[in-house]
Amino acid sequence: MKWRIRMSTKGFNHKFRYEYCKIKNFILYYPKTLRATDRLMIEIRTRKGYDINIVGMPSHNLETLEKPASVALLPERIPFVKPRLKVKVDDPVKVGSPVFEDKRNSQLVFLSPGGGRIAKIDYGPRRVIKEIVIALDQDEGYETFPLISEAQLEGMERKKLVKTIMTGGLWPLFRELPFRDIPSPDVVPPSIIVSLNSREPFQPVPEVYLNDKVDLFEFGIKILNQLTETLFISSSPGNNFVPNRLNTHVTHTCEGVYPADDPGVLLYHIKKNPDENRSWYINGQDVLLLAMLFKTGKYPVDRTVVLGGSLAKEKKHFQTRMGVPLNHITKGRADDNGTARYVVGGIFKGYSEPEDSYMGFYETSLLLIPEGDEKEFLGFARPGYKKPSRSKAFLSVFNPSALPLDCNRHGEDRACVNCGFCAEVCPVDILPQFTYKSIIADEIEEALGHGLLDCVECGLCTYVCPSKVELSEVLKNTKKAYYLEQL
Amino acid sequence: MRSLKDFFESHREHFSEGGRFEKLHPFFDAVETLFFIPGIVTKTEPHVRDSLDLKRFMSLVIVALIPPLFFGIYNTGYQSNLASGLPVTFMAVSLKGLRIVLPIIIVSYAVGLAWETLFASIRKHSISEGFLVTGLLFPLTLPPTIPLWQVALGISFGVIFGKEIFGGTGRNFLNPALTGRAFLFFSYPMKMSGDAVWTVVSGVNNQAVDTFSGATPLVVSAVQGSADVIESLLVNAGFTLPKLFYGLYPGSIGGTSALMCLLGALLLIFTGIASYRIIFGGILGVLFAAFPGYIIGLIYGGSSIPMFALNPFYHLVMGGSAFGITYMATDPVSGPGMNISRWIYGFFIGALTVMIRIFNPAFPEGIMLAILFMNLFSPLLDHFAIQFRLKKRVPNV
Repeated sequence: MKWRIRMSTKGFNHKFRYEYCKIKNFILYYPKTLRATDRLMIEIRTRKGYDINIVGMPSHNLETLEKPASVALLPERIPFVKPRLKVKVDDPVKVGSPVFEDKRNSQLVFLSPGGGRIAKIDYGPRRVIKEIVIALDQDEGYETFPLISEAQLEGMERKKLVKTIMTGGLWPLFRELPFRDIPSPDVVPPSIIVSLNSREPFQPVPEVYLNDKVDLFEFGIKILNQLTETLFISSSPGNNFVPNRLNTHVTHTCEGVYPADDPGVLLYHIKKNPDENRSWYINGQDVLLLAMLFKTGKYPVDRTVVLGGSLAKEKKHFQTRMGVPLNHITKGRADDNGTARYVVGGIFKGYSEPEDSYMGFYETSLLLIPEGDEKEFLGFARPGYKKPSRSKAFLSVFNPSALPLDCNRHGEDRACVNCGFCAEVCPVDILPQFTYKSIIADEIEEALGHGLLDCVECGLCTYVCPSKVELSEVLKNTKKAYYLEQL
Repeated sequence: MRSLKDFFESHREHFSEGGRFEKLHPFFDAVETLFFIPGIVTKTEPHVRDSLDLKRFMSLVIVALIPPLFFGIYNTGYQSNLASGLPVTFMAVSLKGLRIVLPIIIVSYAVGLAWETLFASIRKHSISEGFLVTGLLFPLTLPPTIPLWQVALGISFGVIFGKEIFGGTGRNFLNPALTGRAFLFFSYPMKMSGDAVWTVVSGVNNQAVDTFSGATPLVVSAVQGSADVIESLLVNAGFTLPKLFYGLYPGSIGGTSALMCLLGALLLIFTGIASYRIIFGGILGVLFAAFPGYIIGLIYGGSSIPMFALNPFYHLVMGGSAFGITYMATDPVSGPGMNISRWIYGFFIGALTVMIRIFNPAFPEGIMLAILFMNLFSPLLDHFAIQFRLKKRVPNV
């Protein structure tokens, strides 16, 4: 039996209160027989969004990669941080030695993902630090951090816990909505959202990265529970792994197309008052790192990453470490003659990097996509049985198979014609076309009123735009500028 | 294909900066991109983009316009030959139609494109594909007897004052094709209305002309003071409901056949290019506004305003309602962007069309005026729809 209910988020883990759902966009479900001791799994349905169906999706196989020759930290790719270096070239470092700190808060340190010596420090335009490369020793040294057992954790003061995570270099794993900056340690968040999987097709799936590590994950959940009163753990329905193994922990299942399980989308659907806007989130895989830091007393560098895209020969998961060189992952697995674009961090949100770059602190996905800089003869008039499109304007609407897609924009810049496709896919009900126009007209207040800050930067509005307007870039940059002005 | 590529490459230098035809670069660009989708790649995330672009978007509208266009050509030739007493075989009629319609379309495209190129050249941007639609929509709304200089004048007014002075495609608030038509309608009413303009009479056998009545259904039903029931008036003039639906009667070039518009509408709705909300809203509006009068007419007999008692379905199929609702009202730029306001916008277009026909028999062209009128209101409708929607948001500032 389906009930339209609205959930009270206050004291969620202990007490439930239901009201009739007034928000049109989602329907909540709860089990038929609900006992007082049962944890509630709430199903959230997002109608908007879009699942891209293109070739090159990774399989669930996992291969462990050997140790790379070097690893790197990319301060440029960590949002809002102003790095102050604590090392020089040729300095010896251990795994977990501080490499740089944030000028805004010197407690926020970023640790070395490898043991060896600093091989080079690369600067970009305006002296921005692009890469800090660490050449790895055969036997890496490890900095030691306090071991904390579950019993110790129970009675731990919040302040002390925060300090342990900060000195352990893992505080940046937490991000604060809506600007996705690293949160201030003094603030108690209204809630922390853990997103287990991503509907983005090129991100690691929990079946792989949580395999054999469920206990570790549960320990990580305990740590998070010490940090906040309200912990939301969301997962996508459709696979049995998470419901079976983590049934007692998952609070929300997010049904719907990409980006239904983005923490920002979840928050948009469950928040009831403005205080909740500043919730934090952390990736499912990163919870494991937290737990490992406490359990092993070492700075954890394990990462499960995904290699995908139509130009990758082997499309699957890899067990490797933080900051590995991109060509360490793609060696012998690229099918591109050097023409592929290397996209780090996902097809919608990632950035492109040269082949000799490294994986970032947050990124767990690497894609090899054809550049697609070829002209296409009479492209607009072709039937398009193999042209992927959300619209029904090509014959591909009758083609259910995964289709190839390259980095071509498939059209020139045009003025917005108000077709409204962007508003049809926006998962948080912004009206990107109107918001974009108010930004262009410098009406920032109006844009904020439209819900600009709810934007989860999923990139779908730009993806679908037939006029090829860079909507999400404009929204994102405006958000960022607004945040920097507030600081 | 390769030689075509080479052709563009070898002539590119003349049209790029410093070249002889530097000012004509937008034209060169428009022609080149017609043949080749340029190899522009993404610079920022998202790294992949949908295959749909504005060229495809607009060319689908052109495809949807093919049924009314071809039927319009046939019908124009058919009516002309019928009135002139010439043979009405398929070939003869089609050729005659082509001879009448093609010059109008060519003038419309050529003059409009010249203006577009001029503005694009001054503003240094490329020519938008929106004009391909405007340049074809406009001639289809004209009577076949229209002098070509008026076609040129109308499309010029439509492009300049309907679109370009507001900044070009995407920034116009009126439908450019209808703006041009409205300009002609009020400037040269003798050539745009009445019962003499809808059929080209030419040829050898002039005796047949005398027996020919050129009145359109709108003219027939706008006759005042008739005690007859309106439908019998129409049927007496030869306009039965099926005939009006199929469209083989004198009228504007593309606007007579509701059936052809229906085909176009189905394509537009299926591909999602036109908003089905506007189309259904329009149909609902026509039926809703025409129904009370029809009922009253049924109960109390004829009315002093014959149009008042007309069967609502007649309103849908005559006077270009179907054409207007399918192709003109659904223009995304001059229409509203919110779903709820699209329903309202469509509904009022339909309702106002009927209202104008009933209460202002001097301007029976209800659909044109209704669409232009609602164009003015679409920003307001959007404004209220957005305000209404924002109330439901949890603020995030």
